[in-house]
Amino acid sequence: MRSTNGLVLAAALSLALTGCGGGTDAGGGGAAPLTLPGVDEYLNAPCPEVGTKPATDKEFTYWSMWTADEPQGKVLGKAIKCFTEKTGVKVNVQWLGRKLLTQNVAPALNTDTVPDLFDQDISQVKAAIVAPGGTQPVDDVLDYKIGEGDKTVRDVLPKSSYDIPQNKDANGKIFEIPYELLGNAWWYDKAKIKDFKAPATMADLFALFDKAKSDGMAAVSQDGDINFYNAYFFTQIAVRYLGAGGLEKAALDKSGAAWTSDPGLLKSAELVEKLAKGGYFIDGWDAAKFPQIQQRWADGDAAYLFVGSWGPSETREYLSKQGGDKGIEYASFQFPQPEGATHKVVEQLPIGFAVTAKAKHPEAAKAFIAYMLNKDILSGIPAVADNLTPRADLPVPDSLKDVKAALEAPGVEHAIFMDALDGLAAGKWVDNVFYPLNNDLLKGKITAKQFIDGLAAKQAEFWKSTNS
Amino acid sequence: MTAALGAHKAGRRRLFLPFFLPAVSLYVLFLLVPTVATVVLGFTSWAGAGDTPRFTGLANFGELLASDSFRFSFLNTLLYIVVGGVGTFLLAFLFTMVLRDMRGGKTVRAILFFPNIVAPVALGMFFGIVLIFRPNRQGLVNFVLESFGIDAVKFLAPENVTWVVTGCLIWASAGFYITILMAAVDRIPPYLYEDADIAGASPWQKFRNITLPLTWDVIGVAGVLWTIGAIKIFELVFVLAGPGTYSPPIQSWTLGVYVFDRSFGTAGSPEYGMACAAAVVMIALVSVLVVMLRRMMRRDSVQF
Repeated sequence: MRSTNGLVLAAALSLALTGCGGGTDAGGGGAAPLTLPGVDEYLNAPCPEVGTKPATDKEFTYWSMWTADEPQGKVLGKAIKCFTEKTGVKVNVQWLGRKLLTQNVAPALNTDTVPDLFDQDISQVKAAIVAPGGTQPVDDVLDYKIGEGDKTVRDVLPKSSYDIPQNKDANGKIFEIPYELLGNAWWYDKAKIKDFKAPATMADLFALFDKAKSDGMAAVSQDGDINFYNAYFFTQIAVRYLGAGGLEKAALDKSGAAWTSDPGLLKSAELVEKLAKGGYFIDGWDAAKFPQIQQRWADGDAAYLFVGSWGPSETREYLSKQGGDKGIEYASFQFPQPEGATHKVVEQLPIGFAVTAKAKHPEAAKAFIAYMLNKDILSGIPAVADNLTPRADLPVPDSLKDVKAALEAPGVEHAIFMDALDGLAAGKWVDNVFYPLNNDLLKGKITAKQFIDGLAAKQAEFWKSTNS
Repeated sequence: MTAALGAHKAGRRRLFLPFFLPAVSLYVLFLLVPTVATVVLGFTSWAGAGDTPRFTGLANFGELLASDSFRFSFLNTLLYIVVGGVGTFLLAFLFTMVLRDMRGGKTVRAILFFPNIVAPVALGMFFGIVLIFRPNRQGLVNFVLESFGIDAVKFLAPENVTWVVTGCLIWASAGFYITILMAAVDRIPPYLYEDADIAGASPWQKFRNITLPLTWDVIGVAGVLWTIGAIKIFELVFVLAGPGTYSPPIQSWTLGVYVFDRSFGTAGSPEYGMACAAAVVMIALVSVLVVMLRRMMRRDSVQF
């Protein structure tokens, strides 16, 4: 009998574990700071008018990266319901989840049962669907009306969210219209960090960390088991020296020599080495399971956390599940400009809609894309899903105001997360060349010089032996 | 009499095909054909349904040999097979020495078998909690260590995780092999042990001179089962060494993780050709190991 109890315990533990780290649950149940206002209000609001209606199509098929009951799924669900109500066009939706590109869309490309519309972030769509020629241009959608008088898609979307090299196909045409925007930042709790002053130089940043340490906190929380979280530090600093797209170019250099020829790369690595060797990371960061370390930040064990704009929603969910009533007063800042770096860069990752090349009802799908950007529909992304949209004129969740401001700051260059390194050679480049060396650098096991030389050597070896 | 026998034989012959064909056709359809297809696809570049496989000769295998991730995968798999195997069987032998004479041996056996019922993913998650390093709120193991005044250990750090997985693996699989070996031990006539007791033999001597020779065949089969099972190790590594949602660092990969990563973990379209090539290496490795093991274990069986 004891053994049965053990089984139940193990099963319960694994269930509890798989429960965490998923999407965001707007419900919560804690006190005011842990819940989001306006969810029901949004879902019950009347449907706005459709700006550009499809002339002939009576239906279209949409394969979604969300599940129906997660916050973004609810927003899309409302958009679909309203679109059908206003146009009579039937939407055949399948809620497939994040893996839809490799598991559903790509395998369908050479068949006749392709969806008309699907969504995912531009990096993944480009690597999995655009590369084999699976999409059609959506430039024409820019001139569709969104149901707010004469306003078109072009009028409400900032150019930096769609008119970027990473969002263009082989012919230079746009393949995605974004409706959600991810950013990343250093997060802190305003209630815990008194007299905070945003760092202007890297020295300021290290001073902040030193101050946190002298106040008895760890400086930085970092879930060290996620390779690409570990990569952000180097890439954030390096793109400021090289500019958007500079890292990707260095990584594609078959000889690997690009790593040693630009002194900015070594300088970036030296700053990461300083971060690693300064004892700033919370004890145990390299021996835990995501999301334990960011939860320790939420618990107040560390002062700062560098993650994407999903940070607040994930930690808020954790805190509300803990049953406490204390929320976090989220605030964030960007990496300061390192000395001698000339590119003012902010990293972003647009998530949007793409239309397949073989779509049977592209007209209806495109009309729906434009409708999604109507402010009464799109406002669900901040209100229900606690995320950012590319539109500048929608309310922004308090926790994300700093990120939004950084993304819209005048004169910044927009780079994709990690400068899109994670998509090179279907992910093999980062796995074999970058991540092992970067992890060693961040753990203080190698010096900046060894890191750069290692990249140069490994990369030459890698491109020589890799077929794709 | 002979006519009846003849009719019986004819009947058997008539029934042969109806019984034989379904089994064979299922086997061919779901095992033989996919295996052959895997081997063939191992020589192509193929992104999955819809894409036409492009013959690339030995290019996939060349890339495998040159790639760090594959080298780690191969060596780790060997390590799990050899070190995990030696550990598991040592533990199993140890238990066969004591379980026979132990009171409540049957219950202990049932309990030892228990980890086999739990899915490896759940085990991995469970160990993930038990082995956490988190100052002030340690996981169970580190909590116990610290309460004895021993420094907590970063079990899940990448440089330790391979050994942690090996330990978990031994813990989880020993029960299965204890059960198999004990079934064989139970078949040994008790008087042999009684004789040995009268002669004053130690447990080790009894194991060395009675248990081992009389269960040799079973040990050989168990060794083959272990090899086949261990070459597929995947879930424990995937959830213990990484975050569980993304592939872990390549230093901890096994061949199973490699195949999975190239099939479902790529950033762009899947690389089924590479995955198949790695699977072919798995087939080759398991064949070589099993043949070696059978050779090593070949002995005249003892009649009793």
